[in-house]
Formats: sequence, structure tokens, C-alpha cells
Amino acid sequence: MSMGSSDVRFDEDVAAEVELGAAPVEGRSPWLLAWQRLRRDRVAMVSLAVIILIALIAIFAPVFTHFTGHPPNQQYIRQGTTTSGLPLGPNGKFWLGTDNLGRDILVRIAYGARISLAVGVVATLLTVAIGVVVGLAAGFFRGIVDTILARLVDVVLSVPFFLVAIALVSIAGPGLTMTVLVIGFFSWASVARIVRGQVLSIREREYVEAARSLGASDLRIMFVDILPNVLAQVIVYTTLLIPVVIVTQAALSFLGLGLQPPTADWGGMLAESQTFYTVAWWFVAFPGIALLVTTLAFNLFGDGVRDAFDPRSGR
Amino acid sequence: MTTDQTQAVSTVSETLLHLDDVCKHFHVRGHAGGGRATVKAVDGVTLDVRRGETLGLVGETGCGKSTLARCMTRLYDLTAGKVTFQDRDISRASRRALRPLRREMQMIFQDPYGSLNPRRRVGSIIGDPFAIHGIGDRKERKDKVQQLMQRVGLNPEHYNRFPNEFSGGQRQRIGVARALALQPRLIVCDEPVSALDVSIQAQVLNLLTDLQQEFGLTYVFITHDLSVVRHVSDRIAVMYLGKVVEVARTDDIFEITRHPYTKALLSALPVPDPDAADSRERIVLTGDLPSPINPPSGCRFHPRCPKAQEICSREDPPLLPVLGDEGTHLTACHFPLEVGESLRPRAEASGPERGIPR
Repeated sequence: MSMGSSDVRFDEDVAAEVELGAAPVEGRSPWLLAWQRLRRDRVAMVSLAVIILIALIAIFAPVFTHFTGHPPNQQYIRQGTTTSGLPLGPNGKFWLGTDNLGRDILVRIAYGARISLAVGVVATLLTVAIGVVVGLAAGFFRGIVDTILARLVDVVLSVPFFLVAIALVSIAGPGLTMTVLVIGFFSWASVARIVRGQVLSIREREYVEAARSLGASDLRIMFVDILPNVLAQVIVYTTLLIPVVIVTQAALSFLGLGLQPPTADWGGMLAESQTFYTVAWWFVAFPGIALLVTTLAFNLFGDGVRDAFDPRSGR
Repeated sequence: MTTDQTQAVSTVSETLLHLDDVCKHFHVRGHAGGGRATVKAVDGVTLDVRRGETLGLVGETGCGKSTLARCMTRLYDLTAGKVTFQDRDISRASRRALRPLRREMQMIFQDPYGSLNPRRRVGSIIGDPFAIHGIGDRKERKDKVQQLMQRVGLNPEHYNRFPNEFSGGQRQRIGVARALALQPRLIVCDEPVSALDVSIQAQVLNLLTDLQQEFGLTYVFITHDLSVVRHVSDRIAVMYLGKVVEVARTDDIFEITRHPYTKALLSALPVPDPDAADSRERIVLTGDLPSPINPPSGCRFHPRCPKAQEICSREDPPLLPVLGDEGTHLTACHFPLEVGESLRPRAEASGPERGIPR
């Protein structure tokens, strides 16, 4: 009897101790929960690894020059081309072959990753920044502000992108900054639409009303109460926008509207390969694969992010 | 809630909030009639809220209770009328001018899931009033927030948690803590317990009552739940379709019911004694609540009122003491009920007359 009762008490003591000794209470934020879901998503994690790998290649592009001894714009007319002046296939010296000017394709792809990622990230951030501000203002203030901004969105969405891009570049001249600005100023409209729709619904929530009843200013409500609730959608859209921007940048370069030779960039390499792909498959294949793998990784990762933020959307 | 309290209130009968013929109309587009229409959500409400009392505001869904609450706290601009808070006319005050007043009047919201921002930590939600009004530094705010959490029965250690980690009752406590933070005089509770389980309702109601005594709060308590309102209120105002039809002390509303609508509403209150439940008079109103877009002429209750006569469709009855009631008991009805009068149409009222349903 007494043994039994002491046993019971012992159990209770242990329970109390466990309670007391528990780690300090740390809230599990929605962001943390999303990240935990994302970590369980194998496809997304592999994609993330690929993205990180590409980023490392971009950052350490000079390493490729170091090991091959080939700077990205160095033309090896004699060693790098055939006697008839055609590109050289993959070999011990040029692992991924050379282009028509005898430049090392491997090194150029590594340097090209810098352009693609930099433009992809910077132009996307510009796009998202403009889109979020416009969408937030339109959705929050409604009325005349909304009407004006909505018309602006309609105008921007109806502009034929490539025609205007060609016109702008012919006036202002091509270049990296130009590419970023052109992409940024013509892509924000869809972000603004998404954000506006979200804000319209969130501004009617009771917690927004609660903030108002506490005397919060419009700016505070917009950035403290509404923005964090739109952010999940924005992040999902951003990760899915990066590959689109990368492809757009490549397309602009392909059309000769982006970076000018001899800068190594994937779109430009594809453009140069046009006349040679029948005799030099590696010239078109490797830059193409680089572009494909990069955009695919971003797209799959973006899908994973979307699922992580909204587990109920299912597959 | 008790006679003691009612008396205590009547000695301190200073008016804290006064509504004078308050109207709130919404313009809607594209309803069935086409074109523009006006929803008269609140249409001429005159009401006093006295310092330290709990005023219950009851009425069925869609009668304009919540709209009236948001007019009181000036979350909405008024279409017409006047709101006076602590002898200051705030009916036309701008949002900027209202900011200092926000410290004096707070709201508790109905939906414990919707009224807390899911992306913010509880500590930051409860500390919001301090942040908005620039009170204290980080450390002081945290201390104050933890004191508040303790006071409303939450574990202060849960400071860093998110709303999704709390139950409905706990979330409503968070809402109470937030409303309490600035030590307001008036708290407008918009159906604070409607979304909670009955057992949790009692806990939250008791918390609100304790806090009222501790901080000398005045409550406007909005609900469609009559047993709740009877439990907490000193006075009750009954709303129907954007108007107040009867105001009186809680006991008077239940014992000297004057307005036919109030009577019908009270007859829906469940009775714990099955014999009493069987024998009492149940009044089932026919028809639906008419649309506030096109409210009935005259007395708005006349299409559904068993006592309605011709004058009811012509003239809107004023809110006045009737049948020799005291000045605290106001009724808006052309044919107010006598004590014990049945609402049943004469032909059906064959059985022995029963008293007021309890």
C-alpha cells in the first residue's frame, strides 16, 4: 500500500519536474512551420541544393579560370578551333568544348551564371518592391487611388513587352542596368494585382479593425498588420518569378538587347551558337542545359515553397 | 447583474457616452433592385451609457448591433447624429483627433480567431497599444504585457507564442488583455463570448466582471444570447432593424416587458425547469427580419407584430416611458404590453393566462 502510494507520488514529482525543466517557451511562428514543411519536401530541397550550387559556381567563377587557365574572354584561335576555324568539341583541355572564337565554354558558362543570377535576383526584387508598394496602396486606400493604380496596371500589362524593350534599348543603349530596369518596370503589374487582391480581403479582418480601434496610423496598419500577411504569397510569387526573369534576360540577350559581346552570358552564347549548332552541338547544348537546370530548380523550389506555405493546396 | 449592482450604478449615474439620433447608412451597389441602394444599418439611435455600468445590447443578427458598436467607438463615420464621450462631441472628430481618445475606449471583438494577427507574437499583439501610443521602452512594455497576461489568466511565459498556439478561450483572453492595456474607461464588447464553448463562456464572462470591479470599467456588451446578457448587464437595450425599441434595467426588461418584440425575444430564452418550459407562452414570430435596405414604414416591427394596427404602419413610435414607467424604462411602441398581457392573437389565447416567462 505505502509502496504504491509513494510510487504514485514519485510519478507526479517527475511530471512536475519535466514541466519545470522544459525549454523556455518559444513560439512556433508560421514562418518556422512553413520552413519545417519545406524541409520535408525532397524535391524542393534538391532544387535548393542545385540553386546553391549554381550560386557557388557564379561566385567562384574565377576558380574555373584558375584551374583551366582560360579567362572567359580569351580567344584561343589556334588551340581552340579546328584548322578550318570551327569550334572544338569537349576534350581534355576544353572540358565542354569551345565556341567559334575558341573561347572555353565551361568558363563562359560559369561567368554567365553570375549575370543570370544577378539579373534574376535584382530585377525580381525591383519588380516585387514596386508591385508590393502599388498593390498595398491600391488595396488599402481603395477609391480613387485604387482606380488610378488599377488603370496603370492595365496599361502596363497591355504593353507589348519585347517591342517596347527593343525601342527602349535602341534609344538608351543596351547594358546590364537597362536590362534590369526594363524587366522590373514591365513585370511589377502582376505582383501588384496579387497583392491588391490579398490586401482587399485582409483589410476587412478583425485584427485590422482592432489595430484601428487602438489608434494605429495607416502606415502602421499597412506595414505591421497587413504586409506580413501578404508576404507569404509574395515570397511564393517571387521564387516563381526568378526563373521567368532569368529566361527573359536570356531572351533579351539572345535578341542582342542585353549585354554586349564579349561579356559571357547564357542568352548571348545561345545567340552566337545559332550558326554553328549543326557542326558543334556542345556550343548550343551546354549553355542551354545551364539555363534549363537553373530555371527548373527555381520553379521546383517555388512549387515547394507554395506547398509549404499552404499545405492544404495539395498536389 | 444583481440588484445591489443596479443600485450602486444608479447612485453614480453620470453619463459616460451619449448617443443622440445616431444613423449609419451604407451605400451598396448592384443589389436586386439594380443601381444604388442604402442600407440603414443604424437609423436614429439615442442611448446613454453610464459610468461603471454594463449596458447590454441585444437583438437578432443583422439588427445593427455591431454597426452601432463601431459608431460608438467611431471606427465608422456617422451618417447623422451625435456621439458624446466624456462630455466631448466626437461625432465629427478626425482619426488624428481620435487617437488620444482611443486610450479611453477599447473594443473586444467577436471572433477570437479573426481578431488576432496570425503573423505576430502574442506579446507584440498585447503590447500593440503601448507601441502605438509610445508608452514605455521595450523592457517596460514587456513587463506590462506579462502583467496583463497574468491578470487575464494566461501564462506570461507564453509571451513569444503565436495566436495559432492558443485555444479559443485563451485567444479571447488575449483580446481582453489588449483592450485592457491602456486602462480605458469604456470597453465595447462585440459578442465577446459568442464564438466560445459554454464552459469557456462562463470563464471569460467572470473575468470580464472581475476586471470591471477592479478597474472601474464601463461595458457596452453586445450579444444575441439573452442568458448571457441577463447575467452581465445592469441595463439592457433591445434593438430591432437599426433602432432601439426598448431600454430598461435588466430586471425590468424581464419582468415588465413592454415591447412586443422584446417579449417575443425573451420567450425564446431556454428555461431550465421542464414544467415551466411546457406551460410558458412561446411566441414564434412569423416572417423574416425585413431588409434594412427598405425598412417598413412607421414602426419597423409592425409587419411581424401581433398587436399591430393601422397607426403602426404610419407613425414611428418615439422612445418614451409608457404606461406610467419610470424614466429609466423607455419603450418605442404605440401599444405597449401590460404586465402579464399575452401576445397571442385573441382567438388562440384560449388557455389560462400565464405570467411572464422566466
